[in-house]
Amino acid sequence: MKRRKFIQKSTAAATFLTLGGLSLESFSNIKTKQITILHTNDVHSHIEPFAKNHYKYPNLGGIARRAVLIEKIRKENPNTLLLDAGDIFQGTPYFNYYGGELEFKLMSMLKYDASTIGNHDFDNGIDGLYAQLPHAKFDFISANYDFKNTVLDTLVKPYKIFNKNGIKIGVFGLGIKLSGLVEQSLYKETKYLDPIEISEDISRELKEKEHCDLVICLSHLGYHYSSSPTKICDLNLAEKTKNIDLIIGGHTHTFLPKPTIAKNNIGENVLINQVGCYGINLGRIDFYFDSDKNKASKGKSIIV
Amino acid sequence: MKKYNIFFLSILLLLSCKNETQYLVKIEGKQIPITKEIGSNNKIESFIKPFKQKVESEMNKVLSYTKKDLVRTDAILQSSLGNLLADLSFKRANPVFNSRTGKNIDFAMFNYGGIRAGITKGNITTENAFNLMPFENTLVVVELTSDKIEELIQFLIKQKIAHPLSKQINLAITSDGYELKINNKKFDTDKTYFVLTSNYLQKGGDGMNFFKDPIALHPLDYKVRNAIIDYFSETDTVFSKLDSRFIQK
Repeated sequence: MKRRKFIQKSTAAATFLTLGGLSLESFSNIKTKQITILHTNDVHSHIEPFAKNHYKYPNLGGIARRAVLIEKIRKENPNTLLLDAGDIFQGTPYFNYYGGELEFKLMSMLKYDASTIGNHDFDNGIDGLYAQLPHAKFDFISANYDFKNTVLDTLVKPYKIFNKNGIKIGVFGLGIKLSGLVEQSLYKETKYLDPIEISEDISRELKEKEHCDLVICLSHLGYHYSSSPTKICDLNLAEKTKNIDLIIGGHTHTFLPKPTIAKNNIGENVLINQVGCYGINLGRIDFYFDSDKNKASKGKSIIV
Repeated sequence: MKKYNIFFLSILLLLSCKNETQYLVKIEGKQIPITKEIGSNNKIESFIKPFKQKVESEMNKVLSYTKKDLVRTDAILQSSLGNLLADLSFKRANPVFNSRTGKNIDFAMFNYGGIRAGITKGNITTENAFNLMPFENTLVVVELTSDKIEELIQFLIKQKIAHPLSKQINLAITSDGYELKINNKKFDTDKTYFVLTSNYLQKGGDGMNFFKDPIALHPLDYKVRNAIIDYFSETDTVFSKLDSRFIQK
């Protein structure tokens, strides 16, 4: 542990030396830091925009357009993360013909940072997902799927920590219960673990042990189920846990008019967002940090 | 020595920087619709192009032909498209089932809601098969007791919807109940029956609970869509008509 700390510091020192005066200036004057989180969910192999005469989503979506938007936002703020909340697969013949190859290759070109795994990502079996992994230059994260006895063992991590401009961002993934939703012959020996227990453990680890400034949950649990309100979903997850700042959701294809502000089990705000499906929208959450204690003591404002 | 000093100084500075806690002061959240006004990335577009051309040529591939529109709405208790779907599934699945078990399927049954699109008269393409069956459902054979068959029949009579049935079924709703023949034989309450359906319906999908706990379940590892494509590919011209498989007397 001590050794690791030393290595971290010396790498940082090296960076500082190369940056020279610029770094000094950023220490003394610029105290506000901005982290931008961009996200999609349930894109379901929708590579191209919908047809101009589509009955529901005329001329909306399309990954080539999403690419332009993301590039523009990244230019404005390089401290940006791009995340997906699962169900990348299934929905157009692109998936049926290429098994997800094109989806992963394009997401890699867009420089996605991480994705969690949706139930439809098992549609060609766990072996089908495994076969496409080499095409993905981003990480798959899931904390409540135990892949120990499957081909995905060690390939999917529970969480990933990103360091952007000195801000530590911990992102962990959650998947939905597979039995009853996906054939067991497809997910094989994948074990589903209780999302609340896992979230409590992981988010505590990220906040207290890893000292993350931000903890993000990438969830494919679904936003809410009005027919079974006690079923685990993003709203219930927010309420029953702490240490999570943002839940990025999927599965229920929920088009929220704006991100939801929920309260966690110690009364703190948790932001929940989901942007429908099929790549029709891009979600954007900006976090602003300040080293000025006086500003911080006024509390954080949430503008949605 | 001088180098060492700079290094040391930097560490000190860094530590003081590191100790400067960052406080979260503001969060802004919104969603941005992906519209054509955003513009399109040429590099991404040209990367997609060869994939797109391949998929389009596959989708436009002519597999078969029909002289009339095939729809699910041309009668109340059955339909030309439903009859076709059930019969072609039986035709494609029975050899697979027979080679594995030495037995034959008695009949096929699917759900009306599972027919997702009709087929317009003229050429039948791969795209028609995808529109008809966009899901990845697979074919399964369930062995059912006569009690479960009775339940299945009551379900059909109660719903009065054109759920696809294969031609081995002859069911007539009469004034005082029903008449049923399976494979031209009277319904036998001492016999078990092999019914072809989809994995989705087998799990009780669309309320078909009689499929849920069969005596035996035989997954065929054969997608419904692939059975459709295979049947179209081997059939020059598709014929389908209404007959006496499910009628009101």
